[in-house]
Formats: sequence, C-alpha cells, structure tokens
Amino acid sequence: MSAAPVMTVSASGPGRQAPALEADGLRVCYSGLPAVDGVSLRVEPGQVVALIGETSSGKSSLALAVARLLPGSAVVTGRVEIAGTDLTELPAREARRRRASLVGYIAQDAMAALNPVIPVGRQVAELFRVHRGMRRADADARAVRELARVRIDRPERVARAYPHQLSGGMRQRVMIAMAMALSPPLLIADEPTTALDVSTQAEILALVGELQAETGSGILWITHDMGVVAELADMVAVMYAGRIVERAPARDVFDQPQHPYTKGLLRTRRDLRAGRPGERLYQIEGSPPALAANRLGCAFAPRCPRRTEVCDERAPELRTQAQHLQAGNALPDASPARQYAAAASPQGSAPAAGPAPDARQPESAEASQPGTQWLAACHHPEVSS
Amino acid sequence: MARTLIRRVAFGVIAVLGVAVLAFLLEFVVPGDPARAIAPRAQSAAVLENIRIQLHLNRPLVVQFADYFGELFRGNLGTSYVQRQSVTSLIMPRLATTGWLALAGVVAEVIIGGALGILSTLYARVRAVVAAVNLTLLSLPQFVVGLVLLLIFGFRLHLAPVTGGAGAAEIVLPALTLGLVGAPWYAQIVADQMADSLASAYVRTAVAKGLSDRYILWRHVLRNVLSPAITMIGMDLGAYLSGVVTVEVVFGWPGIGLLAVDSLQNLDRPVVMGTVIVGAVAVVAFNLIADVLRMYVDPRTREEPA
Repeated sequence: MSAAPVMTVSASGPGRQAPALEADGLRVCYSGLPAVDGVSLRVEPGQVVALIGETSSGKSSLALAVARLLPGSAVVTGRVEIAGTDLTELPAREARRRRASLVGYIAQDAMAALNPVIPVGRQVAELFRVHRGMRRADADARAVRELARVRIDRPERVARAYPHQLSGGMRQRVMIAMAMALSPPLLIADEPTTALDVSTQAEILALVGELQAETGSGILWITHDMGVVAELADMVAVMYAGRIVERAPARDVFDQPQHPYTKGLLRTRRDLRAGRPGERLYQIEGSPPALAANRLGCAFAPRCPRRTEVCDERAPELRTQAQHLQAGNALPDASPARQYAAAASPQGSAPAAGPAPDARQPESAEASQPGTQWLAACHHPEVSS
Repeated sequence: MARTLIRRVAFGVIAVLGVAVLAFLLEFVVPGDPARAIAPRAQSAAVLENIRIQLHLNRPLVVQFADYFGELFRGNLGTSYVQRQSVTSLIMPRLATTGWLALAGVVAEVIIGGALGILSTLYARVRAVVAAVNLTLLSLPQFVVGLVLLLIFGFRLHLAPVTGGAGAAEIVLPALTLGLVGAPWYAQIVADQMADSLASAYVRTAVAKGLSDRYILWRHVLRNVLSPAITMIGMDLGAYLSGVVTVEVVFGWPGIGLLAVDSLQNLDRPVVMGTVIVGAVAVVAFNLIADVLRMYVDPRTREEPA
C-alpha cells in the first residue's frame, strides 16, 4: 500500500492506463456559492489518494460531484474523467447505466446507506440483475460470492439478513462489496471508518488494502483522520474552503508539510498522540469561512499565524516543490506553475495571475508527468509551527 | 414475536372488556325507560312493570351487570328488547354489510390518498394543487361530502341509486365518500415518507448503483412507505367496522352503524351493547392484524422489545 503504487506509476511509460480519476478545474456551486472552488486532482490506478480537511471544506461535495451524485440544485463545472470517461458530460440515462461500472461509492454511515427493508444480499444482487441482466437466483448466488470476497463469514446467512441485524463493520463490508461488485476503476470512500470502533476500523482498512491489491482500483479516500492517512494513503490532498491547498506524497506531508493549515492539522494530531495529560491540545484558531461568491486573497488567512497584507490580496498558488523551494514568495508570471495555479482557482480569484484559457494546456502536460510532487504554496513557505 | 402477539391479544381482551363495562354503565345514565320504548302506548303501570320484570330491569344494577357479563363470557350477547331475536343474529349480517363498505372505503382512501401523495412528491408543479385539495377535503365533514355526491351523481346525473340498500351499485357513493374524506391523511403520510425516503442515504446508494428512477421508486422508496400506511389501514378498517354511522345514515346503507343508531333510539340495550362490543373487537383485531402485517413489511419491527 505505501510507496509501491507510486513507484509503479512513475515507472509506467507513455502507454499507461488512463488515470482512475482526473479532475480539472472542478467547481461545485450551491445557489451561486462555490463549495468546491476549482479543484484539480488525480488518482492513478492502484493509488490511494487521501482527501483531508475539516467539515464543510468541500470534501464530500467533491466526491459526490465526481460520481455525479449531487442533487440537481448543485451546479458542477469543470472536467472530471473517471478512467477516461467524463460522467458529467454523458446524458443522464447513459451516466446512470455506466456509473456503477466506473465508480464505487462507500458512504460514511452504512446503516443509513443500506435500505432497511431489503435483505443485504438482495441489495448486492440488484447490481447484477440491473447491469449484468442476471436472473434472480444467479444474481443472489453472485451476491453471496461478493459478500465472501469482502471476508464475511457465512455469507449465505448474512445475505438474508437485514441491515439492522448486522454489526457496523459487517454493514460497511456490505457497502464495500456493493461498491466493488462491478470492479470499477475508481472507489470513493467518504469517511467510511469514522462511525466504527478502532479495531473494526483497522479491519476495514486492511480489507480495502487487500481488495485494492487484487483489483488495482484507484481510491479517493475522504477522511479527517490522520491515522487513516498514515495507514493507507499514497498521496494526500489537503482541502480548505473548497480548494486544495496542498498536495503531495503522504510521507512528505507528514515529514515536511508546507501549508500553515496542514501544519496545524498535523500539530493537532501530534498533540493528541504525544501530549501530556492536562496539557492543552493545539487547535487551529477560528473556524472555516462560510461559502463566499467572490473571494480575493487566501481563505485561510483569517486563521493563519503568519498572515500579512499580501494574504488578503492574493490567493495562494500551487507550485511544484522544486520551483517552490527556489521561488520563495512570488513567482514570475509566465512560469508553468503559476499558470497551473491560475487554472486551479478560476473566475479571477487569483487576480494577479490572469491566465489565458490556453494556459491550461502546458499545465496539464506537466501535471500528467508521473510522480510530480504538487505542494501547496502560500506566501509564507518558511512558516514553522 | 409469539410473545409479542400473546401480549397484544391479552391487552386487546382487556381493552374490549373495559369498553363493555363502560358502555354498560353508560346505558343506565342515559335517561329513558326501555319498557316505555317497547310499549309506548301502554297506559297501565302494571303492563310496564310486567315488561320490566320480564327483562329483569327491576333487579339491582349489580345483579344485571353480573347476569350480562356472565352470559357474555359464554358468548351470548342476549336478546333484543324490540325485535325479540338474538343480538348475534341481528348483528352478524349487518357486520358483513358494513364490512364490505369499510373495505371499499379503505381501498378508495388508499388509491386516492396514495395517488395524491405520490403526485405531490414527484411533481413539484402539482404540489400546491394537491395541498389545496387535501385541505378542502380535510375541512369537509363526511355528511357534506356524502350529500354532495348523492346530489350530483344520484339526483342530477342519475348515475347512482338514491334509494338506499346494500348492492354493488349502492356501494359506490358511500365508499367514495369514505375515500375522499380519508384520502388527505394517506396523502400526507405517503408524501412525508416518500420525501424522507427520497432524501435518504440509501436512495443515494441506489442511485450510485445505477438503478433507474422507476426501479428505485418501486423497490426502494415505496416499500418504506408501506409500513406506516398499513398501520393506518388497520386503524381505519377497525374504526369503520365499528360503525360508519354518518355515511350509513346519509346513504341508507343497512350496516351496523344504522343498527346502532336505531337501537339507541329504541333504548334496545342488548343491541347497543352488542354493536359496541363488536366494534371494540373490530378495532382491536384490525390493529393487531396491521401490526403483524407490518412485521412482514418492515423487518425492524420484528424484534422482541427488550
């Protein structure tokens, strides 16, 4: 799980598969206000990308937008390709037909996400009846095999059970079985272990790891649990107020976080683990901003320990590590990273950048270089916690 | 589940007994002399006294009470004061007649209410119309709806008989009356449950699984609406069987409600008691049946309460 998939990705040549997920300039607006504000993200096959951030940072909106599961009231723009297919571009019928084969969705609360009045085996079998045209008996038998695949003991018995008769861990296994039933190239897990006790959490994490080794799916794992990140993730994307503020291999995020927000998150966790009794836990002051239509400057600035005037004028920019280390505070306007940053935060929220529309092209080319380390930049990269 | 059932039956028996005792005592509070009701023109006190002695009305209340409930436990509802035949033989055919009307009425309610509820949930454009219809029907009493239907379809359009009776043609208007008046409740329950269900995480899961809207509606959403609807159907069947008095009077439907009204006017105490007890049994029985059905529809209700 750890570094191996990244190596595979870097080693693969030009003929490699399409990424499990490629999002570019993804925006999700509710009544005109952006919950997800120009996010670019990539999950390679076999990779686990952890998406971390506080409640209301836009993680779940992002995940649902990828699977085209948001209600009609949400306006989604930008490009999202799952294994080369953009679900949001397809007509509704076509999207519905192909969705489950492209992306499996594992919800946080399996109790609520399973229909209470239908035996769980039937709920798995539905997929095979609808998408594979199987007859009921065949589909039921197949569902039992799928339950066995997620290491459920006595799957025949469990298949006949209703959700409320199963333990939390079992229910989450059923959810995983449903999500993986049609072997989609991408799995989206929306905090699937949050509601579980610690030992069940570990089992589920191990299970997902094993299954992924079998199938080679890419996983977008939404969480705010840094422990889960350390356990599972290859890459980490940190989300704050609808934007990705830092993105890097998991180890790098732990070893040398760049963005003050990431540093704050990690410090909270360090205090939790190593803090002495009675000592006050570190906490990031303030709370995340409300959705804003037009945001100038850095969304994190009001809570940032190193805020200066420039933070209120300019949104921070994503850059590669090498450039980041060289460039310091400001980048020359024409640099590719600058253009990337502009593409990642459209609609003039990075006013200084002013990108031409075709500026996306060189950016995408660079972004698609395997193994590129995308890091956050803020105007204060030297901030230390 | 068996334990739950036994307990429910026991509570049901207690409830029916309680109703019977209350009804028995109430009959003596109601002013009036049954003997006079039986022989309104009798002049001599001796004749009236004779009647009272025949009917044991001269005995103390406690003795009458013991007599009545002694017979009741043997399954004997007594004999009508007025008709001189057993209460059971009077009530049973009436119960069947009312049973048909109750069934037809509930079917009408479920169809009309269910349609209104589903329409207003699925089509935002008709929501306001349905709400207005619901409110109108809710504020109309049964006898108004019944009389309006009778006026339009009976007297104006001559589509329905107006003379009363219990045939297939006669059942349409009273059943429709029950259906219209009861429909808003079903519409509300269906709409609420559907809205909850449609917003639920399990419907999102179903969408994520790529199931079609129609499939999700029938297999995932409506199954979750069934459970509360069944409870209400049970309550309605019980309530209607215990007498849909207004509707039976308006349409001249010779059911148990009409019998109850007649016997109350005649101070025919055994028949009044009979209709009350049969009604109580119907209410208890249908609630129980509904609960059992609900266990089949909603597995969460199957578990024994701790």
